[in-house]
Amino acid sequence: MAASTRKLDKVMFSIKLLRNIQQQNERFLSTSMRRLAEGSDGGKPTKFTPPPKPVIIDKTQSEASLRKFLSPEFIPPRQRINPLKFAIERKDMIQRRKVLNIPEFYVGSVLAVTMADPHASGKTNRFMGICIQRGGHGLGATFVLRNIIDGQGVEICYEMYSPRLQQLEVLKLEKRLDNNLMYLRDALPEYSTVNLDMKPVPHSVTGDVPVNKTRVRMRPKPWSKRWERPKYNVQGIRFDLCLSPEKLEHAQKWAEPWREYDMLKEYDTTALEERFLKEVQTEMSKSTSP
Amino acid sequence: MAAWTCRHLLYRGARVLAGRTGAVAAADSCLFQSVRTVKTTTWWEEHLTEDNKSYMRKSLGEEYNRQIAAKLHPLKDEPWPRQEWTKGLVAVKLGMAPVWTKTGERHVVTMLQVQDCHVLNYLSKEEYDGHTAALMVGGKNASPFYKTDEEMEMFRLAGVPPKQKVTTFKVSDNAIIKPGTPLYAAHFRPGQYVDVTAKTIGKGFQGVMKRYGFKGQPASHGQTKTHRRPGASGPGGDPAKVFKGKKMPGMMGNVFDTAHGLKVWRVNTRYNVIYVHGSVPGHKNCLLKVRDTNLPTYVEKNINPPFPTFFCEEDEQLPEDLYDEDLFIHTQPSLTL
Repeated sequence: MAASTRKLDKVMFSIKLLRNIQQQNERFLSTSMRRLAEGSDGGKPTKFTPPPKPVIIDKTQSEASLRKFLSPEFIPPRQRINPLKFAIERKDMIQRRKVLNIPEFYVGSVLAVTMADPHASGKTNRFMGICIQRGGHGLGATFVLRNIIDGQGVEICYEMYSPRLQQLEVLKLEKRLDNNLMYLRDALPEYSTVNLDMKPVPHSVTGDVPVNKTRVRMRPKPWSKRWERPKYNVQGIRFDLCLSPEKLEHAQKWAEPWREYDMLKEYDTTALEERFLKEVQTEMSKSTSP
Repeated sequence: MAAWTCRHLLYRGARVLAGRTGAVAAADSCLFQSVRTVKTTTWWEEHLTEDNKSYMRKSLGEEYNRQIAAKLHPLKDEPWPRQEWTKGLVAVKLGMAPVWTKTGERHVVTMLQVQDCHVLNYLSKEEYDGHTAALMVGGKNASPFYKTDEEMEMFRLAGVPPKQKVTTFKVSDNAIIKPGTPLYAAHFRPGQYVDVTAKTIGKGFQGVMKRYGFKGQPASHGQTKTHRRPGASGPGGDPAKVFKGKKMPGMMGNVFDTAHGLKVWRVNTRYNVIYVHGSVPGHKNCLLKVRDTNLPTYVEKNINPPFPTFFCEEDEQLPEDLYDEDLFIHTQPSLTL
């Protein structure tokens, strides 16, 4: 009787053990299933996700222009020069632009230039003024800034790719009625003064560049050049205030109306511009990823 | 090739004139008449059909490309003189550009591109002039159709396409280079000094003020029709003549001129361009002879160059741009003086 009970006990114990193990397994399985079910639902993420990056708005750097603008010095003049020479120069220009940010600007914009100067205190000097002329092609491209300081007109011609230039800021981006503002030398001084404490005027990165349609009043003649003559094609001077209609008519004697039909002077740069713009943009975008 | 000849009707003319008794004096004076006769006037494509023409052009172009490709890796068992070869090249003037030094000074450089420069011939001391050996170098491929057979023979022996300009360089005796070796811009290194020879731009017949820089005469104050004239032409009664070589108006330009002692600022090995200081005679895209300087101040510097001269079979790959140590490279940050 005792042996049979002992056997029964053993059997019961083993059954209970098995049941426990089964239950444990079931519990284990059920929890894992539940975890898996939760993971597939995606309600509560179990993996660690890092917090989102903070967006840094750098107000010191002006935003890059989104306009399709190719600086005029990239367009080669119409000469019998091997295009390879321009290609090599363009590489150097793009390399320099990756180091120094040369912003988009036009004749008539107000710029501030910081240049390295061994004789100045702090080894740099800063000059700001209106850009009156952009000249040169390739690495020798220049721009002239004009300002009136203490009653004295000052013009400085800077080379855009000179290593002495440390910073170029556009304080006011705008265009004027002409491509060349050399007549400001003979205009009243108020049109050439730029306030030295001027703050940068915010400009939009997209859309058209604003055109400043001011027409300038001139000092009495004689001028440095006869601006009323049609070869200068000046739109931005109030001739009606300084010259009589007879004089204006007399100036039209130097008009050369056949020049607009001169086929040898035709130079269509649209295809070249597109090609160079694409090249410059691809090369500049390569630089940001070192 | 056209060969124009004139048959001088000497004997026949004399006989004809002798027959006319009235013109004896005339017979004495004109002993011969010239009649122009054409021997051969033909150009290479005159007797060819369109297909033949295009085939000739294409086949010759391919053959020359193959020749150039074959020369790119010359055999290593040839004797290669390393240090004492005075370098010489034929280059094409591309244009000018500004460069800046590390101290902020601006200089102008001329860009010279070495296009298809090959050694054509080596003449030993005895063959050339008895004093120095010579190396004949040619640059910039040209069309074979307008070259004489004598010119083509040299190119054929060297196994090289015909060249537009062929020059001789005087070299040291042991500078024996196999004809057909290509020469590259990397033979010159930044910091060396070169002489560049080229034909100056032709200005035509020019007066004495432009040609020699004479001062001329004043524009007003009674000058009668004399504003740009040479003025006096010599001393006077004692020599009673005008000396030979007197500077007078004449053809100006279109002569060979050399610019000496030009520093090499930069060498681009990818496009084979040498940046040489200052200006160089010749118009854009003209062919020049570039040679190591003869100037005594720079000759010692050139003998021990900072780098060994470049031969393309060396395994080391040169960087794309070689700069002089004083030169500002545009990848560097802006200068702070």
